[in-house]
Amino acid sequence: MVYIDEPGELAQQALTFARELGGPLHAFAALAAVSVEGVETLHVAEGDAFASYAPAAIAQALVELVERLSPTAVVAAGTERGNEVLAHVAAKLDVPFAANCTRATPGDPLVVTRVRWGGSLLEEARVHGPVKLLTVQPHAVASEEQAAGDPAVERFTPTHSDADLVVRVHERVAAAAGGVSLADAKVVVSCGRGAGSSEGFGIIEELAGLLGGAVGCSRAVTMAGWRPHTDQVGQTGTKIAPDIYIACGISGATQHMAGCKGAKAILVVNTDPEAPILASADWAVIGDLHEIVPAISAEIRKAQTQKAERG
Amino acid sequence: MCVKRVPLTGGRIVLTEDEQAIETRHLAFTISPHEECGVEEAVRLIEANGGESVVLTLGPPEAEEQLRDAMALGIDRAVHLVSEGEEWDPQATAGAIVEAIRADEAANGSFDLVFFGNESADAGNYQVGIRVAYALGRPVATGLKGVSVGGAVVRCEQEVTGGRDVYELPLPAVVGVLEGLNLPRYPSVPAKLRAQRKPVDASTPTRPDSRLEKVRLVVPEGQGKEALILGQGPEAAPAVVEVLRQIGVA
Amino acid sequence: MLFARRALLLTRLVRMGKPVARASDLPARVRNEATIVLGQRKLLQRFVPGLMHAFIFWGFLVLFPTIFMAMIAIVDREASLPSGSPLGWLERQGWYAFTVDVFVVLVLAGVATAFYIRKVQRPRRFDGSHLGEADLILALIAGIVTTLLLWHASLIALGLNPWPGEWSPISDAASNLFGAGTTTEVLERVFVWAHVLLILSFLAYLPHSKHLHIGTAAINVFFGRTQARGRLEPLVFEAEDESDLRFGVGTVADLTWKQMLDAMSCTECGRCQDVCPAYATGKALSPKLLIMGIRDHLFAEGPAALAGGDLSALVPNAVTDDVVWDCVTCGACVHECPVSIEHVDHIVDLRRHLVMVESGLPAETETMLRDVERGSNPWGKPQTERASWAEGLGVRVLEPGDPAPEVLYWVGCAAAFDERARTAAISTAKLLLAAGLDVAILGPRESCTGDPARRAGNEYVFQALALANVATLDDAGVTKIVASCPHCFNTLANEYPDFGGRYEVMHHSELLAELVRDGRLSPVAGDATITYHDSCYLARHNDVLAAPRELVGRIGKPLEMARSGKRTFCCGAGGAHMWMEERGSQINEERAREAAATGADTLAVACPFCTVMLDDGVRQTGGEMRVADISTLLAEATKRDRTTAGDPQ
Repeated sequence: MVYIDEPGELAQQALTFARELGGPLHAFAALAAVSVEGVETLHVAEGDAFASYAPAAIAQALVELVERLSPTAVVAAGTERGNEVLAHVAAKLDVPFAANCTRATPGDPLVVTRVRWGGSLLEEARVHGPVKLLTVQPHAVASEEQAAGDPAVERFTPTHSDADLVVRVHERVAAAAGGVSLADAKVVVSCGRGAGSSEGFGIIEELAGLLGGAVGCSRAVTMAGWRPHTDQVGQTGTKIAPDIYIACGISGATQHMAGCKGAKAILVVNTDPEAPILASADWAVIGDLHEIVPAISAEIRKAQTQKAERG
Repeated sequence: MCVKRVPLTGGRIVLTEDEQAIETRHLAFTISPHEECGVEEAVRLIEANGGESVVLTLGPPEAEEQLRDAMALGIDRAVHLVSEGEEWDPQATAGAIVEAIRADEAANGSFDLVFFGNESADAGNYQVGIRVAYALGRPVATGLKGVSVGGAVVRCEQEVTGGRDVYELPLPAVVGVLEGLNLPRYPSVPAKLRAQRKPVDASTPTRPDSRLEKVRLVVPEGQGKEALILGQGPEAAPAVVEVLRQIGVA
Repeated sequence: MLFARRALLLTRLVRMGKPVARASDLPARVRNEATIVLGQRKLLQRFVPGLMHAFIFWGFLVLFPTIFMAMIAIVDREASLPSGSPLGWLERQGWYAFTVDVFVVLVLAGVATAFYIRKVQRPRRFDGSHLGEADLILALIAGIVTTLLLWHASLIALGLNPWPGEWSPISDAASNLFGAGTTTEVLERVFVWAHVLLILSFLAYLPHSKHLHIGTAAINVFFGRTQARGRLEPLVFEAEDESDLRFGVGTVADLTWKQMLDAMSCTECGRCQDVCPAYATGKALSPKLLIMGIRDHLFAEGPAALAGGDLSALVPNAVTDDVVWDCVTCGACVHECPVSIEHVDHIVDLRRHLVMVESGLPAETETMLRDVERGSNPWGKPQTERASWAEGLGVRVLEPGDPAPEVLYWVGCAAAFDERARTAAISTAKLLLAAGLDVAILGPRESCTGDPARRAGNEYVFQALALANVATLDDAGVTKIVASCPHCFNTLANEYPDFGGRYEVMHHSELLAELVRDGRLSPVAGDATITYHDSCYLARHNDVLAAPRELVGRIGKPLEMARSGKRTFCCGAGGAHMWMEERGSQINEERAREAAATGADTLAVACPFCTVMLDDGVRQTGGEMRVADISTLLAEATKRDRTTAGDPQ
């Protein structure tokens, strides 16, 4: 049974993961049918309860399905909402829940490999219980194309207690407009303590601006109050997945690396050639970021003007 | 406020020989980052509204250090569920916490709010707070960057793309918070000295069998990367721009 | 009367001051009184102003008895003092009269020089001082000695001088101005009265002005530090009653009696201001204005403090925030001060209160303090990496239970974690091993000595680190330590004994110099010209000057900077400044320029902070000097072949 919170790449990964466990595949969505392939039945829960995100209500619907269909496992993508809903299901059913798994070997007890420390450590564990609740670590599994074919759609209206309906989104407050969102940016330029002060981020903002990217920082920077927590890249901050991550004056603690594992490429600017971050980097420039970053910006500008003149 | 003692791992993770835990000799320990912000928030709420705050942990005897740290920020007293050092799985942890909360509430009155970190930095199971909430029969919202109390309701804010989702939960409630909720204060030394004398109620619960049973830990293989050094100092700038051009961002 | 009342107030204030132990080492204290007070040693560090003051001061000492002679003469002109009494005997001595005459002239010369300096030369060190007050005092002094001279002259003219007139040539010459008649009798009375009245009004004015220093300075010098200048006074964190604990200085009631004496002794001379690296680079801090500010606040709130009333905080009311944080604890001010004011103690105590009670400190320093408290090093890097610089060098890492080494090399956090400072550790280890020493390092068990925490004001964290390190060292059976960082060296040698840690501690330059002297290391001198930068914590705080110079002499051709030895100019990283952003122009650039001006090829240093700061400084000022630790230069010199001795690059 796969809970689909949002259709897309991560849902596909969850489906691929679930498929490995064998047996017929069912999917579940709340409120509206989603387009999904390779699934026998899509169950859709209906009702006012689902008008806005309400994790307990969604979990209750899943609980009814579990009681009715007795799946071997319930799987979801390891997103914030995925983890939250499945945790609610786990609490209601009092069964174990393994979050952020990278692999599962079918059998009973189920043996899973799951993620710790944001990805810097793996745990092999056995899951004991009548139904196994699992979420899939994003991008740990490659999603596979499925044979086309629409599933049968069954709709139902779950019975909710008052308690299930208490936790629901009341309103959405819009964020102040501005800049590229760190989580979505294709280019992220970040800096650590080496910036020296919040003014030191001027050169970082300049380079990020020239590349159309977002500015990130390490935890030391947010703890010092130089940048807001929304800029923090790391296990307890934002997890990024840009095409390139330019990390300046960052040594590469595991907490930070957990946040930028998703980067397709990493370029490091650091004075220390022995800094741990170099073990995860594709390229490095050794030296003082206060000299190097402006030089890079200058080169980019030069290339841009040359291009404009030619074009 | 429920907290967990976690190590500060630095650049590399090294495991013990039996692959059951991280080698923590010479490592420093702290309260897990999301929870530090929870402690600060709890202290601020009591400062604004009056009342009492309690910090609780399930952890080894050394975890008293984290309890004293929390009390130095302003928490009034502590409950220490002393474990022998092996890990408790999330269900067992939640169970022990529920019992401790029930016992404390029977003696001292019920808690308006129970704080958890959204997930602990080390195991990252994302579930202890939610399990505790169900066992206590209270509503729970997690992943929160904003918590404010007004009347008999707690207003909870969760960050999503494009803004924040707001929940309003009736008290008593349970919340799971994220780092970034606030910036924890730097404790004064008089507060630290006072914290040494604040009461810690310690007990040793029995660990039930794990249903999410850890078999072993594995350090994932490094990508085997050797960074290509593009150069030293600002002279490397043209090489950098060439790389950026090839990726397609410059 | 006025004087007595004021003096009583000041005494009561000082007695209210918090305790500090300054009674040990009596012989040195007496020696200081002799050389600094009587001998005017520190004042003479600037020769002309020093001499000027010396004349006036010695004149004051010499002329002191004449005050009483004058007062007695007011009462009874005819009866001179009985020749049996000490004063009576003195006033009859020809040699005394001669000395008085000479010193009257010297004092007047001094006053004239002082006026010249203040009015014509107008040195910058007087910026911020109360010049009007100084002028008044100088005028009063001039008036007092002039009236004395004129009185003596008129006595001679009247034939009433108890001493043989020919012994006092100047008074004698002046006596020719006066006839022997009644006018002179009147004038004699006028002069003696004027003399005494001037003295009395001066006396009443004295304790309300900076001239108070004539009472307090001698006492302050007696109680100044006689040894271990780099040692800060510890605080106590355990007490029955929490309100008895002192967390540094918040209000004037928290000042120690020595700090109060300091404030009362300041003459606003500005020599400290002249040598302060922060002031020199345009920052808010002036050590002189700091002490003046504390003094003014002390006098303003002193009565309230004695009565137990409400007091206002020194920061920001008397001293602003940035003044407190600008200080690099280099001690140049303390070294210059002629009245032994210890400015660094004031700064650190103010920081202690800001940090430990009010949590008011620069954000990046707070990060450093969190890191050093939790992670045992100020960079927040994992302790497990502490020995990675030593991989492959064959240095023994001491595990619990291992036999104690002959000497423990205390590496320090900077050399362990900073890539530029690392070379010194590598060179030092190689040299010590090459010399055949049984040396070991603590590796991950070495925590920060706590110097940055202590200098930033967090005494609590410092003491926790100190106690932990002492336990580790004692468990390992360590008796002798060599450190390549002057801050570690200073703390281990001077400050750890307060926490039970007593070891023989050497700076690496001292040990290396000893090894070279003993022939266990044989460097070959090259052609490079080398200028050596004295680290503040070596030269000023610990008198280590000769050993590094011995080494430089054996490595290349030495060139000295103008500000060298105990008058060295800081690199800018002390006082936890390695972890603070610097506003305004840079201290390290100033020093780098000074080094470059010598024309030397190489700038030799003996400290990891100096290495980093001056290397940055050289690059930022477009210089090309090579900045290297003395151990690295020595290591290269020992490898140099005699036949190919040349520029090491």
